[in-house]
Amino acid sequence: MAEWITQGKRVAGPRQAKPGCVLYGSLESSSQLALEGFIRPANSIKEFIFPKYEPLYGYQIKGNGVEFREVEQPAGELVVLAARPCDAASLPILDHVFNWDYKDELYNRRRQSASIVTLACAAHDEACFCTSVGLGPAAERGSDAMLVDLGGGEYEVRLLTEKGKALFDGKLQASERVASIPPGPEKRFDAKRVRTFVEEHFESSFWPSQTLACLGCGACAYTCPTCHCFDIVDEGNIERGVRARNWDSCQFTLFTLHASGHNPRGNQPSRQRQRIDHKFRIYPEKFGEILCTGCGNCTRNCPVGMGVLSVLAEIDHA
Amino acid sequence: MSETPEFEPKIVAFVCNWCTYLGADLAGTTRLEYPSNVRIIRLPCTGRIDFNLIIKAFEMGADSVLVSGCHPGDCHYTAGNFHARRRWILFRQLLQAVGFDLDRIYFTWISAAEGHKWQQTVKEITEKTRKMGLYRDLYRVSGTDGLKLESSVPAAASEPLAGEDALRESCSRLLAEGKVKVVIGYGKRGPVFVTRPEDAAQLVWNNQCLANLTVYLKRKEIRALGRPAIVVKGCDERALVVLEKESQIDRKEMHVIGMACKGMGQEKCAACDVHVPRFADEVIGEAEQKTADASERQKSLEALLTLPPAARMAYWVREFDRCVKCYACRQVCPMCYCERCLVEKNRPVVIEPSATVKGNFAWHIMRAFHLAGRCVGCDECTRACPAGIDLRLLNLSLAKAAEENFGYRAGMDPKAEPLIGTYSLQDKENFIR
Repeated sequence: MAEWITQGKRVAGPRQAKPGCVLYGSLESSSQLALEGFIRPANSIKEFIFPKYEPLYGYQIKGNGVEFREVEQPAGELVVLAARPCDAASLPILDHVFNWDYKDELYNRRRQSASIVTLACAAHDEACFCTSVGLGPAAERGSDAMLVDLGGGEYEVRLLTEKGKALFDGKLQASERVASIPPGPEKRFDAKRVRTFVEEHFESSFWPSQTLACLGCGACAYTCPTCHCFDIVDEGNIERGVRARNWDSCQFTLFTLHASGHNPRGNQPSRQRQRIDHKFRIYPEKFGEILCTGCGNCTRNCPVGMGVLSVLAEIDHA
Repeated sequence: MSETPEFEPKIVAFVCNWCTYLGADLAGTTRLEYPSNVRIIRLPCTGRIDFNLIIKAFEMGADSVLVSGCHPGDCHYTAGNFHARRRWILFRQLLQAVGFDLDRIYFTWISAAEGHKWQQTVKEITEKTRKMGLYRDLYRVSGTDGLKLESSVPAAASEPLAGEDALRESCSRLLAEGKVKVVIGYGKRGPVFVTRPEDAAQLVWNNQCLANLTVYLKRKEIRALGRPAIVVKGCDERALVVLEKESQIDRKEMHVIGMACKGMGQEKCAACDVHVPRFADEVIGEAEQKTADASERQKSLEALLTLPPAARMAYWVREFDRCVKCYACRQVCPMCYCERCLVEKNRPVVIEPSATVKGNFAWHIMRAFHLAGRCVGCDECTRACPAGIDLRLLNLSLAKAAEENFGYRAGMDPKAEPLIGTYSLQDKENFIR
């Protein structure tokens, strides 16, 4: 890792923010990397590809015209170290939506300059459900290389892409030890069944009854590796400013508020329904994949104990 | 090489239209010279200054800020300056906790007849600021991680606590007798809303019953369910007192089930002095009502306050860097009941919605101050924050100022007048010249 930093690469990975709270963040030294004592960071690696705040361009009003200014672009390559497989898998899923009718330059640039080195999961908790969405503790999707813990500070390194090979070029030693991967979480629901259910239950008392506790914050969406909605804002004064892209969440009242004052999703149950609907029906219909990697962040971060899993488990029993 | 030009401090003065502005005008017409370093911004009254203006002045390069208005008793609007005085007593403590340098923030009373005082004040502030030099510490990260705050890691779910059966029984009875239509309580995973007596078994009472359920009383989906019974701990109950005082709820329209609580193992529990709810319609269980002094409650804040201002600011820059503006802090707060939050007003933008250093400072300072004298210390904002930011420190700073200066603690005494919105002629003004 030190070598990557001296090569001018930026390195990011799990880092302890305070006791009991590990978040992905940029790392200046390998001592900051947190590897043990937690299931997964409370945020996701989307921050590095699709940041919470991204200036698009600057503008300045001059006379009757407007002058535009390019903003500085992120410099150098980025290595995300010890990402979880459920984080890495989110990137190929997000690629669809950022390269569909419009090819998002900023997203693609960051995506191309980032290498993802995943650490296979050795443990899972009650909130994890990767196996229910077709992934698992050592799912290789989206990773450039995967580390599997051999114990004693040694790792088996699986090189999965050219990027991954370049990262570890000449740095590996052959070993006869073979890593074993512990089983993932039990399957918690059937995604196909969920899709049929949401198709058939757009207007249903199920939603109000299951989502009463939801307070409408964005903790689930903002820590989700796949949620990708954004808002465009102008910030500045009467003469100049910056147009920027910020994260947004379908759980906020203002998300769908029309200028007329009408709000097609006027209550919290309809917003919760939208979240499930988008992840398990709309996105699969459009792009052929579920917009969820089963990381469980929504459940862990929800201040009132909800999350995708609790709603889906109820659907599965319904 | 050219000589380094002498540093000329920039001073922004927010003055009221009726006294200080005229005082400054008088200084001009009577040819009293004063440094041209001061930029005057005229406002109707010191009582209406939005505190983010002060911060904005620093953002735009001010080295010191002056706020000045009419002497007590002289306010054009009768009492605007009394309100300003009270608000400033609280706000100064918040600014201090966030790491602003209070030596660069001045408050004076200058009347329309006091041209001389204006001259003296501006001269003095200019000289002092010149000595202090350029203000560079705004939003700056300097030094290494200065503060290691301990934070409690939530304990794993444990066995039911005494009182769970009694709680279920009582709720089942209330529902069966039709006294209430819904019980807002704790379930296995989180809050539950029990509407049928036979579902009372969903209710639990254990050390994971952390949420402050009073936040649901204002939500329209819950109100639609009919007359509620609500389960509160002693700390949550303080929110009911404030909400009632602010005319947000009618206690007669609900049944309050108080749970005597021995502490849930959270940081706030160590210094809790409301283990037994005091105003509930019924109290279940037993706990010892302990007393705790203020210093114990403010232990974590005191650790922050021992740092120099620049280090405190550096601490918050690092903390706020993790803020993603998910607004979980606001949504879980029983006191944040505005229909539309100030941060959501965009014509014009008041608080920048972006999760940048500037936007995050503006948001957290604004939210903390809107809770001045109202925050009941339930700590839900800190618990809800997915980025692990110790938001409680901001609230504690205001609670400290309220307690030390006014002997006031929100939600403790139903008879006490709200802190903000009232004033006293005796309010301290040792920081005003």
